Amino acid sequence: MRTFRVTHRTEYIYGTAMADGFTVARLLPRDTPLQTVRSAEIDVTPLADEWEESLDPFGNRVVHFAVHHPHFALTVTSNLEVGLETGELPQGDTSWEGVVARAAGARGDVAAEVGPFLAHTWQTPALAALWELTGDVFTSGRGVIAAVQHLCHHIFNEFQFDPTFSDLSTPLHSVLSERRGVCQDFAHVSCAALRSVGLPARYVSGYIETVPLPGEPKLVGVDASHAWCSVWAGEFGWIDFDPTNNQMPPLRHVTVGWGRDYDDVAPVRGVVIGPSSWQTLTVSVDVAEVF
Amino acid sequence: MTSSADSGYSAFNAQPNIYDEAFDSCGAPRPTWAIATHAVGSMEPSALHDRQRDADRLLDAEGAGHLVHELAFDRGTDRHGVPFAARVESRPWRLDPLPYVLDAAEFAVLSNAAIQRMRLLEALLVDSAGERQLVRDGVVPASMLYSLPSFRAHTAGFAPPRWLMHYALDVTRAADGTWRVVRDLTDAPSGLGYSLLNRAVLARLLPDGLRSAGAAPIASHADRLRRSLTASAPADRPSPRAVVLTSGPAHPTYVEHSYLATRLGYHLVEGADLVIREGRLWLRALDGLEPIDVVYRRLEDELLDPLERGHRGGGSGVPGIVWGARSGHVTLANAYGSGLAEEQELRPYLGAAAERLLGDRLQIDHLTMGELLATAPVFTGRGASALEPRRVVLRLQVLNGPDGHAVMLGGVGRVLAPGDSPEWPTALLAKDVWVVGTTAPRPVAVMAPPQVDFGPSVPKRAADALYWLGRAAERAEVAVRAARVVGVQLDQDPMLTSVGDGGWAMGVGALLAAARNEPRLSTSELPLNVGLTGSLQATVAVAAQQLALLVQEASSVREFLSKMTGRVLGRLARAHGQLLDEASPTDELDSVLVDLAALAGLVMESTVRGPAWRFLDLGRRLERALAVLGSVEGALGVDSAPMALQPLSEAVLGANESLVAYRRRYRSDVDLNAVLELLLRDDANPRGLAFQLDRLREHVAALAWPQGVDLVQQASAAAIAEIDDHVAGERRVSLDSYVLAVRGPLLALSDAIGQHWFADPVNPTLMGGF
Repeated sequence: MRTFRVTHRTEYIYGTAMADGFTVARLLPRDTPLQTVRSAEIDVTPLADEWEESLDPFGNRVVHFAVHHPHFALTVTSNLEVGLETGELPQGDTSWEGVVARAAGARGDVAAEVGPFLAHTWQTPALAALWELTGDVFTSGRGVIAAVQHLCHHIFNEFQFDPTFSDLSTPLHSVLSERRGVCQDFAHVSCAALRSVGLPARYVSGYIETVPLPGEPKLVGVDASHAWCSVWAGEFGWIDFDPTNNQMPPLRHVTVGWGRDYDDVAPVRGVVIGPSSWQTLTVSVDVAEVF
Repeated sequence: MTSSADSGYSAFNAQPNIYDEAFDSCGAPRPTWAIATHAVGSMEPSALHDRQRDADRLLDAEGAGHLVHELAFDRGTDRHGVPFAARVESRPWRLDPLPYVLDAAEFAVLSNAAIQRMRLLEALLVDSAGERQLVRDGVVPASMLYSLPSFRAHTAGFAPPRWLMHYALDVTRAADGTWRVVRDLTDAPSGLGYSLLNRAVLARLLPDGLRSAGAAPIASHADRLRRSLTASAPADRPSPRAVVLTSGPAHPTYVEHSYLATRLGYHLVEGADLVIREGRLWLRALDGLEPIDVVYRRLEDELLDPLERGHRGGGSGVPGIVWGARSGHVTLANAYGSGLAEEQELRPYLGAAAERLLGDRLQIDHLTMGELLATAPVFTGRGASALEPRRVVLRLQVLNGPDGHAVMLGGVGRVLAPGDSPEWPTALLAKDVWVVGTTAPRPVAVMAPPQVDFGPSVPKRAADALYWLGRAAERAEVAVRAARVVGVQLDQDPMLTSVGDGGWAMGVGALLAAARNEPRLSTSELPLNVGLTGSLQATVAVAAQQLALLVQEASSVREFLSKMTGRVLGRLARAHGQLLDEASPTDELDSVLVDLAALAGLVMESTVRGPAWRFLDLGRRLERALAVLGSVEGALGVDSAPMALQPLSEAVLGANESLVAYRRRYRSDVDLNAVLELLLRDDANPRGLAFQLDRLREHVAALAWPQGVDLVQQASAAAIAEIDDHVAGERRVSLDSYVLAVRGPLLALSDAIGQHWFADPVNPTLMGGF
């Protein structure tokens, strides 16, 4: 098991003092079969007047906090330490149509678990253009793991990583038609494509290690939060893949949480109340392996 | 009933095999139609036309709040910089004088079906936030349910005291005479206020008809709503406070929000009036934060809380209110997430859901695409009978409170325009729905837990609006009066323009500019040919603009103004358009003055003397004091020729409505010193400066506001200074410095009021972050 430390700092500066600030943060990681959270805490400056931690419907950790005194800036810093096992693809495979039928016919707890991840959302809409990605991949009788591996490859090859192209309001159809975007976009493309053929898919929010290993190229998505996708493969359970880096299973990926799309797991969402003013946002992320 | 047979309506209802509310398939009038026609009295087309006119007038008077939507706001912006035109969203509806009558036995079928549906939808909401049995059992496909934008994922695990307190159901009759469900409303169901409003109109239009028909009363439904709201408060609040939450006058059903708030006796608040702190909800009132326990929200889920997923409208709404409701510190009625239950996509699965959750079958089928609907006679004014067959969708109102489910015995019938979808009617024409033949005992008045007396509490935003309402009313009057006085002088003696080397023209030009609140031009800047006609038009335009502002501010604080005020506001709203349209509006100016006087009278006589009234009057007095100073400075500040001074002084006295008082007191030709004495220092002249300063002093003292007391004191001290006849460079410099000395502290007072009382920086901004 390897150990990683993450520091994620979000700083807002306002042109004038704000009276109230409300923030919802999804920054605290959860345990997964491959991940053990050793420590995780959030520091807020100025000190919050209210604080409440809860679990969201997907089991993610959510922190609500509020500042009710005048403040010119707000800094939210999370410090995490997690242990990671290296993931491995399962032995064997099963036909993707079989998984689709299983998901559609699921009852009881399985239905409750995979149901939300079958649904197209506004960030992962059911677009006809998705067929261009899935048509060659989900061929009759093919194994679900092989197909998803192919899809991951396909997105990695076809789409160009371009931080200047998109932001959070860029619709999926632009990403699809222009074939460019960032990790959040590629995770959305993956989720939408999988759901369009009937496979449950999660959007996963987290981080990726920033230091390239000797002999390997520097990975894209450094110094920012990262996102990838997880597919439900029937008896094999959930299998993560990272289309931005063409990794399956992903390595050196620290999971924070998952949902149907970015909006379900946005790291920080807030509202400030105060006079009209400019505001700036600075985000920095640092991921490092601890030996 | 011979009247129905005589109406000639049957001749127009030549649609065989389609159920009609008036006549059966053999052409015989139905008993309910006989009741309707009897209630209206004569079915002569001319009599119906008269009834319709009366109904229009009464609806206008009852619901004058909607006038803000009716104004042709094509110019200008309000004081927040929001363009008027952007706020015009709805058009007022007309009420058909003919009621839609249903007998009690038939209504009971609808009523039972509505209660069943409300129970089903509530069970569905409980399930979707809790056990998700419908998904586990495959009754509702997960891929559909979880893709609905109205599915609020983060309501999972949420167990509000009651998901739905208020539910509305649209039903219509199919061509075969049986009923169909058109649509459910669970998010922020509208129509209850409209039902009460329409009934109030018909009760005045057809009092005997309503009585003889034995139509079930509906007014108690509002009391039931109040009891339900109070009873839903968190457990530890012995005297809960409730508010009605709206997004503001731009909301399409704002008329109803305002009407219901007035009817319930609750504050009508907007998002910025509320704030969540320590998990509790607070109202930003003049005296600080006041706790709120229950919110009757007229704001849809997607507008409620900017922290929630899927929120529309940037930072608007109440940040954290959903969190507060989750923790049980405040009750939202209906609960956040209720919008899910009205989704059209769920409809195909509701039958199976009813069997799974209630063990029951749905009592009424859904309307299917293209299905033919029954017709009802509707007054259109066209044809020999003035009636035509139209399709009507009824909206039923159901409340679930401490005494269980209750369906209002009546409702609104929305008349579909040709080509309208039953789901989304144009809704320009409504019918009042009467239920006759009920044997149920009249509802017994039940004592509700007391609502804490809100008397002294005023939301900051409301105080702000009232203050600006007072200022706009006064500024409108000043502009109207100045334009009228100058116009009349000019009409009576067109040669005045050349009197005293143009001194009169220059003086009244400055008087008009002052009435428009424009800064004074120095003498050298005044154009030689003062375009008086243009100046008069500009002044009338300012009056019209101020009337629009007045109506707009008033519409957001209707619950503070007496009911009668609505009528006057309606007249002023219409005057706004007429002032701009007419070339020579002297008569119109007169009638505006009468209406403004009526408004002032209502404010003085019919408004409770609390902080609300005080801020309104503060605005009036401050604006009037500034206007008196402006008129004196403008018209009399120039050392004009004696020939011009006489008509100019009369103009200033007239503009300040003090000419009659002057003549009675001095019985002489106009003398400058006497004019100034009457306008500036006579504290018995209700139009004079001294009188306004006295009122201002009372207000700031009553508000216990030291800064205000100090500023009014400064203005009063300056106002008693002597004014000598010192002239320099054609200006009466002594008068000029007097005006400056008094105006300074008054302008400072104006700024201070905004800063001290209203300046709560409420400007919620959404922040993202990666």
